[in-house]
Amino acid sequence: MSPQKALPLINETLHTFTVPSGLAVAVIPRPGFKKIYATFATHYGSIDNHFRPPGEAAVEVPDGIAHFLEHKMFEKADGGDVFDDFARVGASANAYTDYSTTTFLFSTTQHFWEAFSVLLEFVQRPYFTPENVEKEKGIIEQEIRMYLDMPSDRLHSHLMRALYQVHPARIDIAGTVESIRTITPEALYRCYQTFYHPSNMLVTVIGDVDPQQVVETVARDQERRGLSAKGRIERIFPPEPAEVATPRVEHRMSVARPLLMVGYKDVPEVPGWSRLEREVVAGLTLGMLVGPSSPLYERLYGEGLINERFSARYTQDDSFAFAALGGETPDPDRLEETLTRELPLAPLREEDLERLKRKELGSFVTLFQIPEDLAYLYNHLHFRGLDLLQYPEVLEGVTLERVEAFRQLFTRPERRAVSVIRPLAEPGP
Amino acid sequence: MGQEGRSEASAVAGGFETRTHGRGVTYCYTTDRFKTISLHAVWVNPLTAAEASLGALVPAVLKRATQRWPSTTRLHQRLEELYGAHFRADVGKVADRQLISFHLELVDGRFLPGKPNTLAFGLDFLTEVLRRPLVTSAGHFDPTLVEQEKTLLLRRMEAVINDKGQYAALRLLESVAGGRPFGLRKWGQPEEVSAVGPEALYSYYLTLRATRPLLVLAVGAVDPDEVAAAARELISDQGDAPELAALRPYEPLHRDAEVVERQPVSQGKLQQAYATGMTAAHPDYPAMMMYAGVLGGFPHSKLFVNVREKASLAYYAYARLDGALGLMMVGAGIESAHYARARQIIEAQVRSMAEGQISEAELQFTREAYRNEIEAEQDSPDLIIGRKLETVLVGGGLSGVDLISVLERVQRTDIERVAGQVLLDTTYFLTGEEKGEGQST
Repeated sequence: MSPQKALPLINETLHTFTVPSGLAVAVIPRPGFKKIYATFATHYGSIDNHFRPPGEAAVEVPDGIAHFLEHKMFEKADGGDVFDDFARVGASANAYTDYSTTTFLFSTTQHFWEAFSVLLEFVQRPYFTPENVEKEKGIIEQEIRMYLDMPSDRLHSHLMRALYQVHPARIDIAGTVESIRTITPEALYRCYQTFYHPSNMLVTVIGDVDPQQVVETVARDQERRGLSAKGRIERIFPPEPAEVATPRVEHRMSVARPLLMVGYKDVPEVPGWSRLEREVVAGLTLGMLVGPSSPLYERLYGEGLINERFSARYTQDDSFAFAALGGETPDPDRLEETLTRELPLAPLREEDLERLKRKELGSFVTLFQIPEDLAYLYNHLHFRGLDLLQYPEVLEGVTLERVEAFRQLFTRPERRAVSVIRPLAEPGP
Repeated sequence: MGQEGRSEASAVAGGFETRTHGRGVTYCYTTDRFKTISLHAVWVNPLTAAEASLGALVPAVLKRATQRWPSTTRLHQRLEELYGAHFRADVGKVADRQLISFHLELVDGRFLPGKPNTLAFGLDFLTEVLRRPLVTSAGHFDPTLVEQEKTLLLRRMEAVINDKGQYAALRLLESVAGGRPFGLRKWGQPEEVSAVGPEALYSYYLTLRATRPLLVLAVGAVDPDEVAAAARELISDQGDAPELAALRPYEPLHRDAEVVERQPVSQGKLQQAYATGMTAAHPDYPAMMMYAGVLGGFPHSKLFVNVREKASLAYYAYARLDGALGLMMVGAGIESAHYARARQIIEAQVRSMAEGQISEAELQFTREAYRNEIEAEQDSPDLIIGRKLETVLVGGGLSGVDLISVLERVQRTDIERVAGQVLLDTTYFLTGEEKGEGQST
């Protein structure tokens, strides 16, 4: 039997297992639901562009290669298409790449086991040729150009470049039109062999399935491939200074009104904090300071400086962490000035903390209804050695002192960078 | 407010128990498989140039403050106390109808400490927002809130240009409509927003309450009696509303028209509108779904395979039906210089559909893909509500297992037959380059 962890309050159980090849498996059964959702993910994303495979020399690869590799995994040696293999059994497949993970997925209401074997097979069978690599460049160039026209995507991208001096989080996940042109089949194979090893990967299944059968199926698959656990991959990140690269970046685009994003660079490991605790505290702090129930939010909204799409988020990964606040605004200078003045000063009150804990607990419960979001969060925490099920306990234990301590991040101007996008032509007064 | 005795009729269809209460209808889908309770209240309003902006401002102002929670901060604090209930009040559009919507998603109390009755809290919240807005001593909406929401709405209207795909779709629909109501934007026009005052808005709100059909949909571990009781309070005004008439497919005014617009964009957006001649209520609609699915609904479809995989021209290429309007949208994001080539490939796929060049695999894959989509709807309260609302507004149409079994029986000859009705109305191209202009096949 696989180890189980139960959350009796919300009637959920998590089954986890690791097969001898090192591949981890997680199953969250959902009796009575029609859809089964499965992901096969690797702990490999856009920031892993400089690394040392076990027992080998260090390698540097072109920007955007993890995302390119994700696209190319759908290619088959017989010229067929993986999408067709899923379509044949009525499953809907997709994939995505972010800073530190690449995820292949499908969802289906029928023929789960057939679709599951397609997933296990294609992710473990690369096929790259000069022709099929060349063909993909036009498609990915259009994907990149689509993002280039999205103001909120550009705003974030510029902010990352302003926050980070050397860390590869400053590079766009898909790379650039120029960088992807240099990608070759050899480079793809090199990345594949390093990062798509089972010991760096995770299979997650959420739906009405028998966990034991999932584990046995994966174990059989791995036994057949005869892979054994591999040494550690060394990911090379140049030391990132505490200070931001540029305090302020401004660009112009075809937008109706300006957009502003203020970022605060945190360090991934803060002494005295567990990473899960820091992530939970960050979410609560932002909610208390500038969430929709805060006096500051009401003031900014009332003055027309923000709208409902204003966001305040904390992002944390193994090698980088930051908070980012902003959105569309008619007056980026005044919004920036107000945020940077108020965030260190706004009162933090016990009753607000207790109310926001309720809100977060509600979000945690709701998460179990949305398999896509649940798998995303579970996978991310797993690769960082964190446990999703500890979330309610960590949340419960947060004190106002911890919130106040996290807020100190906003008092350090050297950690702050601002990204602004203005219209091509400013509207009249 | 006086409670009027009204006749109630009740029926169960498609998992929903339906009860009519005069001008209001409640639809309850009772199940204990969800962690949440979803409540959706909708006033169905005709979309007109004169009133669209008033209709858009009503939810914007109602969501700001009520008599019991007289500030936005207090209102959001209330939602957070309800374990982070998600509340949205906005305006939507289906064909030529404006939907004034209030959506509340609550965590089911069974999964919370102390097991609170969150359905009761949720119905109370919605009733407060819809019936007891903050009113000044002068007897209308707070002028400050109205001015703030007008400003934000005007900016939101301008910000449509920020999302080039959405902008292209709106511009295409405007061109297709040629002044008819279904081409109006759901927010109306800026001049009308500017002209709205707090008195006129409040009186419009009262008109909505007294005359527009109100649909209340609930999904989760809900008690239909509890929902019905709340609905009676929600619709207790005097006044009658016309029955919801079934939607009719739009009549095309153009044949292969072309609209090219230039903007500083990195990627060109090619969008086409095809008239299909039928809404989702038509008996042939499942065949039309198969048509659109084989053409461009999925990664195995002709558009994805030919525009993206074979020609490497685009990252996305799709066909999507609008079952309320009787229209099919085709779209692809391409290099501006590839306009003529992309159109040629897309239109060749459309022709091949009419010629019946559809393989057994394409049929089979498309049937399976729809079955997957339709069955999976049952896992999502939002999708369950969305499908029900569409069926009610369109005035018929199949869903669930009934739709799946009809799709299974659609033959190639059925698809060829409906293919003959698919006519290219208008092509819209948003391009970054001058040289893309004027080229056509």
